[in-house]
Amino acid sequence: MATFVVLAAVMVVGALGVVLLRQPIHAALSLVGTLLALAVTYVTLEAHFLAAIQVIVYAGAIMVLFLFVLMLLNVQDAGPRRSLPGLRWAAYAAAVVTATAIALVAFWDGRPAPDPAVVSLHLQGGSAGGIADALFGELLLAFHLVGVLLLTGVVGAVALVQRRAASAHGAPKGFGLPAGRDLPGSGDAAAGKARALGPGGQR
Amino acid sequence: MAESLLTVFLKALLLAVALLGAFAYMTLIERRMLGRMQHRIGPNRTGPFGLLQPIADALKSIFKQDIMPSRADKFVFVLAPAISITFALAAFGAIPGGPAGSLFGFDPWVVDLDIGLLYVLAATSMGVYGIFLGGWAANSKYALLGSLRSAAQIISYELGLGLSVLTIVMIAGTLNLREIVELGVWSVSPWLWPGLLVAFATFWISGVAEVNRTPFDLPEAEQEIVAGYLTEYSSIKWALYQMAEYVNMFTAAAFISTLFLGGYKGPAFMNAIIPGSADWPIVWLVAKMAIFMFIFIWLRATLPRLRYDQLMRFGWLYLFEVALGATLLTGAVIAFVL
Repeated sequence: MATFVVLAAVMVVGALGVVLLRQPIHAALSLVGTLLALAVTYVTLEAHFLAAIQVIVYAGAIMVLFLFVLMLLNVQDAGPRRSLPGLRWAAYAAAVVTATAIALVAFWDGRPAPDPAVVSLHLQGGSAGGIADALFGELLLAFHLVGVLLLTGVVGAVALVQRRAASAHGAPKGFGLPAGRDLPGSGDAAAGKARALGPGGQR
Repeated sequence: MAESLLTVFLKALLLAVALLGAFAYMTLIERRMLGRMQHRIGPNRTGPFGLLQPIADALKSIFKQDIMPSRADKFVFVLAPAISITFALAAFGAIPGGPAGSLFGFDPWVVDLDIGLLYVLAATSMGVYGIFLGGWAANSKYALLGSLRSAAQIISYELGLGLSVLTIVMIAGTLNLREIVELGVWSVSPWLWPGLLVAFATFWISGVAEVNRTPFDLPEAEQEIVAGYLTEYSSIKWALYQMAEYVNMFTAAAFISTLFLGGYKGPAFMNAIIPGSADWPIVWLVAKMAIFMFIFIWLRATLPRLRYDQLMRFGWLYLFEVALGATLLTGAVIAFVL
């Protein structure tokens, strides 16, 4: 129990850091800390496989990609921004209400906690076998549906990018091409060259 | 076989000290060997055969001025080398050094995890944060370029690494490194040998890329980006990065020996020469690691560095597909032949 309290405290502090830290990289690091503490919590629950996967997938892959994008774009603190009036207080209120609701459900749940013996029997030592049985047996349909959901996300992302790329192609011809090389169908090579110089080419 | 917490702690401490000692002398061995390969002498002045050179290097690192760039993110700048060395040392803990109880009655490993294989992968994948954050926190363009390169590289080559490991996992049916060694993946069936051979090759190549060694040492390509993520580091923080790099090499060597070459088990014919010697702990693992460490150095002296686009293309267009092919082949053999 003491371990859980410490880990929970680390996770809560980390989660607050994600929201409150100004520097995006620090916020992302804070999230990494939270994820690692969650992985350790899994270990204390004897779910070793889940813990390792948590570290490999979330901390080791997804967060690295997050940080990669943050560094590539060199995102800095944008400073306080104008927003809807009272939004901040509404957010605080929503947070308090949600936290209270979760706490109420957690502490007033009448059902008895599952017997540890039964849980560890199902976990089969926390190895991959138990999870594989559940994922590819009982929950096979749900597992596949999650795959479809992820595919939807990928297709959506591609569609969003593609539209921009397509409009860039259809944009005034010659833009971004090397000077002198114009798109077919444009008779006026000189005008094309001027446009190809980009925004400054119009001078 | 549950050992007391104190025993585990002492073994972990011993392992860390051993790894760091091995690091110190590995630098000497590497410099001497590189010297040999390039018709130079190498460091031979400090003590007999230069044996005191690592100690001199350590003293120098400690007493050098520790420079902190004034525009650096100070907290992350200090945190990054610590992350690097912590996860590098932690990763080795799950690798078994011998049969149970063979080390004077103790088990020759720190922890025997059912998911030992995933544990090593997880710990090494966390190590990228050290490189990544160090380059960013220095607030210098070369350092940032170095860390972006390393992140892209490590993520790309982790795919090949994971797929090659999958071959082993499918054959052994377990993620426990000790059980994989006890089973002996090559002894299962000759039908599996082609897949295993290919996986061995892809794993080794990805392993070299994961530890950022030549020909994949793009993150610190000195002709282009000074020293990459190391550019702004000096003194003991720089030394910590060096330690992490070498400890990661040890881990890669031990990991590939454990997965593909029977790990701590000695060759069977040794039992005919000295009875029981194939079961000696540590010895065989260290011998196999030494072979791979030598190849690391050999590669460094032999191969030129890849260009960055070549590196990415090789990882994504060739290595990944070949590793995937080996995995599919092994899966097909297990499903239809065995």
